Amino acid sequence: MIARVGAPWLMYSGAVDERAASAAGEPLAPDPVIEAFKKDVDRTLIRENLKLTPEERIRKLQSVVAFLEEVRRAGRSRR
Amino acid sequence: MTDFEGLLRTLNDGGVEFILIGGVAAAAHGAARATYDLDILYSRSPANLDRLAAALTPLDPYLRGAVAGLPFRWDAGTLTHGLNFTLTTSLGDLDLMGEVTHGGTYERLLPDTEAVTLFGAAYRVLSLGRLIEVKRAAGRPKDLEAIAELEAIRDEWASGQA
Repeated sequence: MIARVGAPWLMYSGAVDERAASAAGEPLAPDPVIEAFKKDVDRTLIRENLKLTPEERIRKLQSVVAFLEEVRRAGRSRR
Repeated sequence: MTDFEGLLRTLNDGGVEFILIGGVAAAAHGAARATYDLDILYSRSPANLDRLAAALTPLDPYLRGAVAGLPFRWDAGTLTHGLNFTLTTSLGDLDLMGEVTHGGTYERLLPDTEAVTLFGAAYRVLSLGRLIEVKRAAGRPKDLEAIAELEAIRDEWASGQA
């Protein structure tokens, strides 16, 4: 559960238990908040990425970042 | 814009001992989310601090978000007295972590890494499972979507879809 949305310096409350579990080497239990977010993950994008090598994935990331940077630049120049 | 390949090559050419963590590590595992900086977990051994300082010096590292003109000196002494640094460099934004949540140092997390070949060299990348654990332990709300995506990747592997 999120302690207080809008206060980004706060941890969501499951984190403390997860630290203990992680330190003990135990598998983490499913977190209901993360499970809710998982429903919106676009798995088609993931499946496409998993067909690539790690280097191809990083090159793809670089090109996405370059594209987004260009879009931002264009947006700034219109203002 | 951050030049991921350039930063990785710089660190590798300088003999720096580090583990790829954060968004670029997630991307290496198959995540589709964009990230704008390179996050690494570096060894705090004195020799590695010297190598890290030397490797990045040509890139003019400076504290990201700080006003210009601060008396920031980039050298092994600064690294020794600090731990985690968010930097701008001439090749883009670079986050240097001496430790991640719950005592995750380079030496402790090294067994939980995978060797990945990128741009002709081998790099240590934090394993998918450990990356999920570290992000969950950090407990930052901003990571929730990223964690969900990483867990979805893990599910893809587990289901044999990947």
